[in-house]
Formats: sequence, structure tokens, C-alpha cells
Amino acid sequence: MNHPIIDVSGLSFSYNGTPVLSDVSFRIHEKEFVALIGPNGGGKTTLIKLLIGLLKPRQGHVQIMGKTPGQVAGQIGYVPQDLNINKSFPISVMDVVLMGRLPFSRWTGLSKKDTAAAISALESMNMLDLRDRKIDDLSGGQRERAFIARALATDPKILFLDEPTANIDSRGRSELFGILKELNKTKTIIVVSHDTMVLSSYVTAVACVNRSVHYHDNAEITEEMLEMGYHCPVDIIAHGLPHRILKTHGNE
Amino acid sequence: MMIEALQFEFMRNAIIAGCFASLICGVIGTFVVVNRLVFLAGGIAHAAYGGIGIAFFFGIPYMLGTLGFSLLAAMVMTAVVLKSKHRADTFIGIIWAVGMAMGIILLDKTPGYNVNLMSYLFGSILAVPNSDIWWMLGLSVITLFSASFLYRDLLAISYDDEFAKLRGVPVNLIYFLFIGLIAVSIVIIIRVVGLILVIALLTIPPYIAEKYSRSLAMMMALSTMLAVFFNITGLWLAYAYNLTSGATIILVAAAGFFLSMGLDFLLRKSRTDYQNL
Repeated sequence: MNHPIIDVSGLSFSYNGTPVLSDVSFRIHEKEFVALIGPNGGGKTTLIKLLIGLLKPRQGHVQIMGKTPGQVAGQIGYVPQDLNINKSFPISVMDVVLMGRLPFSRWTGLSKKDTAAAISALESMNMLDLRDRKIDDLSGGQRERAFIARALATDPKILFLDEPTANIDSRGRSELFGILKELNKTKTIIVVSHDTMVLSSYVTAVACVNRSVHYHDNAEITEEMLEMGYHCPVDIIAHGLPHRILKTHGNE
Repeated sequence: MMIEALQFEFMRNAIIAGCFASLICGVIGTFVVVNRLVFLAGGIAHAAYGGIGIAFFFGIPYMLGTLGFSLLAAMVMTAVVLKSKHRADTFIGIIWAVGMAMGIILLDKTPGYNVNLMSYLFGSILAVPNSDIWWMLGLSVITLFSASFLYRDLLAISYDDEFAKLRGVPVNLIYFLFIGLIAVSIVIIIRVVGLILVIALLTIPPYIAEKYSRSLAMMMALSTMLAVFFNITGLWLAYAYNLTSGATIILVAAAGFFLSMGLDFLLRKSRTDYQNL
């Protein structure tokens, strides 16, 4: 717990002049399990994309293991939001997972190592028997596990997940969080989710994202956090075991 | 009947040209359809007419003028698609119309030359010169080589371009390269089969093939086979009943399209009926 694995300082970002995030600073340590919560449009996905290097900050910086996200791409696993992906696309589960091993040599193509890594990633997600299925034929939960397997194909140190439970029923959700908890033994996990109830027993820190970011790495729940979180009745996560607090904001 | 027709060189050339066009459109059309670039392909195909105008008006070689101009138009369109996805269709529409209008004015003002717009639209597959067969052979080789050389990259970009970028795939470069290839293909094939048939071959076979394919490679192979079938059937019908060949091929492809939709509907219905038993 000495050096932070992710170090964000003074980070700001805007889309076409509209500020999305301003002056964000926080540190995440190794093997933490961080939940990003906040209203839709509050900047959660933008924050993740800045952390993994898909977007470049306007101001401030992001360091992962002391380097820029681009320099440690192999150490970063990313599971994007399901709904952004073309569902009728003709592709097998195996080919999706192999994408995690890109880029391949264009002359020799896939190596045995790539195939082996993809197979063991599928195995760890209990998906090996579905590897020849078309991704379109999977259930929401199976598809999500395929995407996690793709992210795991390089055996990354940090795993980022953007609303992994959006298309999954409640049984699948706790199953998925069980998988994440298992992965958390060896990896740092950062997850965007609205499932604050289920998450509450897993996370070690919570970041409330709404233009600015309030980072909580202890059990304390402050007024700020309540103000920040959502503009609706909400379950608030506490550190460790759930202390469930329901609060209705007056303004909505 | 078909055997009898095959004695004629023009018929043999038509079939060979049709097969090459099917192969190129099967591979490129797959990329166009899964990336939803049909409008962009249509834009390039129409703007290329401006290139013909420039070539004749300024007296530069046909291929140089049309290829140069449509490559330029394609690069501008790609830049817009990559820069602002939500405005892309508008800009493509503008380039589409302006290219076409430019072509018409420039050809009007070219003394002594009168290009038939109809032949640009529907081509003249029954009058393919040997030189065009060589052009298409070369293009087929380039297309097959690029598609297999860049297969995994194209697959990743088409399926999830953000993830591909994250994994260090040069997404924008490959996008430009491949859309450049689309532009070149369209220009060369238009000469042979016309604009309308190019659009039909780029869209209908891949659309049908997508439903029955487990991979992009399979989709490319299946679209090529379908396109060859539509071409030969269309040519035969056109020969037998004395119809315009390009338009006949398109209608055969359209028949295939509706047949596959009908088949799909019945399959889905029988599946739900079975489940309701």
C-alpha cells in the first residue's frame, strides 16, 4: 500500500466546450475494489476512458503504475458498456476474446500463446464450452462474461468495467459480482455500477462522480457524498458491510 | 441456352467481369455493411462522377481523374466520419450532390464529348473490354490480400473500434486505407457494371450473408457466392428475354433478398410455434 497504482491529479475534461469533469484528483491503491457511482451524464464513462487512455485530459494527468495509460496498455483490462456494441455482428465468442490479445503479427497471425491465453481466460469465466457460439446467441450475462474474458486475455493488473450489469437479471448480477470478488484477489477493480446494494459488501472505496469526483476510501459517509451521488432516493454504500442509508433529496 | 451464349466473347467477358465484381463487392461490401458505411459508399460512387467530368474537361486520363477525385472525396468523408460521427451523413450528402453536379456541368462544357449518364448508372456489362478485365483482376488480388493481411485488425475495428484503439491497433490509419480501397473498387467496378449495380452488390449479398455467418470471413465468402449466383442468373435472364442486363441482375438480387427475408420469417415463426406447443 505504498505507491498508488492509479494516480489522478488536477484532471479536467470537456466535450466541445461543455465541462464534463473538473479538477479531479484521487489515488487508488493496489487490489482495491472501487465503485464509481453517480447520475447518468455525470462523467463516469468519461472518467474511465480518461483513466485507460482512450481520451486525453485537457488538464491534469493520469498515471498508472507511474506511467501514462498508453505505456501500460497490457496491464489494463477494459469491459465497455454492452449497449455500444453491434449485436448482430457475425463473430464467435472465441474471436471476441482473441481481440484482447491484439495486435497480432500481420504476417504470422495468431500464435499458440494467443490461443492458449484466450482459452484460459474463457475457462476462468466458465465460458469455454460456448467458445464457438455466435456472440449474438448468448444471454446478457454470458455476453458480459465473454467481454470480461476478453479483458482478461492479457492478464492485466487493473480491470475497468463500465456498467457490467446493465443487461443482466438480479441472479446474474450477484453471480457476476462474485466473479469480480474472486478476480479482486489478484487485481485492482474499478467498476461503474448502479447496483449499490449488491456492491456494498465488496467494495473498498467509492467514488461519487458528478462533474467533480469525491473519493471515499473509508467507512465515513458525509453530507457531501449524499449531495453528490444522485438526485433521487438512493442506497448509499458504506465501507465493508452494508450500512444502508436511504435519503430523499428535496429538490427532485 | 447459356452454353450457346457462351460462344460470344462479350458474354464470356460479362461473366468474368461479373465474377470479379462479385468477389470484390463480397469482401468490401461485408466491411461496408457491418460498419454501416452504405451511405458513405453511395456518396463515393456518386461523387466519382465529378471525377469523370474533371478527366474529360481537363483532358487528363480517365482513370487518373476519376480515381484521384474519388479518393480525395473518400478521404474527406472518412475524416468527417472519424471526427464527428453524428454529422457525417450530412457532409456525405453534400459531397454526394456536389460531385455529381460538378460532373454534369463539366461534361456539358466539354466540347464534342457526350457521356451517357445512363451508362454511368447501369454500366455496360455486355461490352467489357479486355483491359477492364485486367484492372479487375488486379483489384481482386489487392482486395483479397488487404482483407487477409488486415483481417484481425478489420474485425476488431468493425466490432469494437474503441477496444481496438486501446489494444494499440492503428484504427484511423486502417480506416483510411480501407475506405481508400472501397473508393478505388467502386470507381473501377462502376466502369463495368454501373453505379446502381455496385450499390446493389455491396449491400444485398452481405446483408443476406450476415444472418447465416459465424465470422466475417464466412460472410465475405457467402456474399461472394451469392453475388456470383445473382450475376450469372441475371445475365442469363437478360440474354434469354432480351432485358437490360445490369437492371436484371439487380432485380434477381432483390428477389433473393425478399426470399431470404421470407425464409427468415417462416423459420422464426416455426420456432415460436414449436415453443408454444
